[in-house]
Amino acid sequence: MTLEWPAECGELTHWLKSQCARAPALMQEIGLVLKPSKGVAADAIAEAIQSMESLQIDLIGLTGDPAHRSIANQLGLPWLSAQNITQVAEPTSRSETSVSSEAASRSSLDPAMIVQGPIRSGVQIYARDRDLIVLGQVSEGAEIMADGHVHVYGRLRGRVAAGVSGRTDANIFCQQFDPELVSIAGLYVGSEQIPSEHRSAQIRVGLDSAGNALIYSVLS
Amino acid sequence: MAIVVTVTSGKGGVGKTTSSAAFAAGLAQAGHKTVVIDFDVGLRNLDLIMGVERRVVFDFVNVIQGEATLHQALIQDKRIENLSILAASQTKDKDALTEEGVETVIQELSEMGFEYIVCDSPAGIERGATMALHFADHAVIVTNPEVSSVRDSDRILGILQSKSKRAKEGGRVSEHLLITRYDPVRVENGEMLSHEDVCDILAVGLIGVIPESKAVLKASNTGVPVILDHESDAGVAYADAVARFLGESRPMKFLTPKKQGLLKRILGGSD
Repeated sequence: MTLEWPAECGELTHWLKSQCARAPALMQEIGLVLKPSKGVAADAIAEAIQSMESLQIDLIGLTGDPAHRSIANQLGLPWLSAQNITQVAEPTSRSETSVSSEAASRSSLDPAMIVQGPIRSGVQIYARDRDLIVLGQVSEGAEIMADGHVHVYGRLRGRVAAGVSGRTDANIFCQQFDPELVSIAGLYVGSEQIPSEHRSAQIRVGLDSAGNALIYSVLS
Repeated sequence: MAIVVTVTSGKGGVGKTTSSAAFAAGLAQAGHKTVVIDFDVGLRNLDLIMGVERRVVFDFVNVIQGEATLHQALIQDKRIENLSILAASQTKDKDALTEEGVETVIQELSEMGFEYIVCDSPAGIERGATMALHFADHAVIVTNPEVSSVRDSDRILGILQSKSKRAKEGGRVSEHLLITRYDPVRVENGEMLSHEDVCDILAVGLIGVIPESKAVLKASNTGVPVILDHESDAGVAYADAVARFLGESRPMKFLTPKKQGLLKRILGGSD
């Protein structure tokens, strides 16, 4: 993107820092073309470029007043004519669209299903296309399932299944882990096969990369 | 409107009817006009426990089906003035209970000035049990300190909070845990779940622990609610439980084994 300086942003270092704070990932990825206003001194431009470097912002080049072209040459920066900018700006705008589409898909994500416990024996809960969060305990004889992750803020004694429709990256997070049965993406183990050191622990359960064993990691 | 207290458990034989009789008698003794209804249609027992089996002419199902009025079917207890009993039918089955019928009876009992309606639920999770808990404001969950009873109680708690009228209207039924047939000696020996274990599994507030006692069988056989036996530990424990239900705070008793005298230990025998 082209940044008109100081017309658009005022004091450059301050503006860049505030942008980095707001959207650090975006600022790391985006390429900037600096367009100093007419009459901005060579020293000031050199200083601005230094501060951009220190913030690890990718400077593509300079543009604008033809009088600044020699400064670009002095500093070893490309000089971009208006035509060039549209070309250079293209990937920039693409990265912008990819960010905005990501944001859009994020907002269309189903929010996690939150259920207040205790989940009693005989009760079945399924969070379709989303994560499941249980506040409280899950009794023996209860079944909780989700297409996404399962979180249990309490003691888990019932059956639990994450990634029910096949997501192998689904996880189970639990404060006290005493389930009857654990399943991730269809791979299941009974309570007897759960290593005793992980019983009653605060634990995260996932699937290994090959997808043929459960991995337990103790939380906290 | 009368307050409906359902005594339930899921599992059979844990002491629901004994507890219903004791609770109703306790509430009535505390000055509240109380009626206890037997929902165990086809397997009625409450009349025996209350000692009114010879006085049953009309029953709950007769009232629901319009064959008798409530006044005709209600049996006034001879010991406690505020207490009435509505017996179950022994010849019908549980399909005779309809939601509208039960609701009408509860409504009429309220209009008659009853403050508490104690519903003695049958075992199981079928019609009789679901009808008994449908209109509950409070549920007393009777549990023995053993795993199968605890699991069934958990199941009935789930049904209570999903199928009762209150739950369907977005509210909650108040839950009270009553542990019966508790034997502190066996708990100490690790043969029985402790009351802490049961509370931990069920996550419900404890209202009382009734010790295993010979007084209960004697009370059943003689048709006197055990709560009226002030000499027995079970009677005292029920009285405490009812007091806690009514908001009093009383310390739990009978949680530790009794100290036996030397002579008794040598000669053996138990109380």
